[in-house]
Amino acid sequence: MSNEIVRASETAPPPPPEYPIDQVVFTPPIDIFETEEGLVLQADLPGVSSESLELQVQDNKLSLFGRVALPIPSEARLIHQEYQVGHFLRSFILSDEVDHERIAAKLNQGVLEVILPRLPKAEPRRIQIQVESKDG
Amino acid sequence: MPVFRWGQGWDPFRDLEREVDQLLANASLFHGIRFGRQYPPVNVYELNNELLLTAELPGTRVDDLEVLISGGVLTIKGKRSGPEGLSDDRFRRQERPRGNWQRSLTLPDHIQEDKMRAEFTNGVLCIRLPKAEATRPRQIPVTNGQPS
Repeated sequence: MSNEIVRASETAPPPPPEYPIDQVVFTPPIDIFETEEGLVLQADLPGVSSESLELQVQDNKLSLFGRVALPIPSEARLIHQEYQVGHFLRSFILSDEVDHERIAAKLNQGVLEVILPRLPKAEPRRIQIQVESKDG
Repeated sequence: MPVFRWGQGWDPFRDLEREVDQLLANASLFHGIRFGRQYPPVNVYELNNELLLTAELPGTRVDDLEVLISGGVLTIKGKRSGPEGLSDDRFRRQERPRGNWQRSLTLPDHIQEDKMRAEFTNGVLCIRLPKAEATRPRQIPVTNGQPS
């Protein structure tokens, strides 16, 4: 676990106050896998459109908040329920290995994919050693 | 049979639902019910002239989704595959369900099977089940009766 460059934040922050929360908020299930270039994070956000998704990186924290919009007219009555509908909130701590400037994301059929490229490895650099001249 | 893999190992950051599962697991009565439920879970909404059946199936391709109706039984089936050409050891975390699934539901009698439609939007499947004319609410005029 120590070398993970992305990990789930230990405490989910309260949802940003600008979103009026009228529904339950869920932690969406995610996958994280490695590629040649870095990591890919996928999150299930059914019912969330790109307009209703907020994805932000602040300092080393990546947060997602997805507002669910049901394809159901408001006058519809729920007569049988097996799952609960809610918004989605989750945040992750990114390590310094992730190149924050090149993070990219797309949303397709309720799945958010975030590309987290690794920073290019720094070239080894020779450090000059100065010899202090000792007088007397 | 649905074949799903949930996240591997212990993970303190599970989603709320699974935390609830944990709580319910302690009350063993609910254990079987929670884990024995069918996939995908569905909700049914009622409107005056139709029923709407919804299921959350994020990441499923429309081509991998099948909706069949036969003799009053609605069958939905599909699959969700992981990223192609990616071995399991590349995964740092794996919580999203995947695999093949199928579910059949018996429809009420009054559904017009030939007029059903299905849409898949933002990973949510919505099947529209129009009610037969006879079952739609109908205004019945009340007239003054002859006083006896």
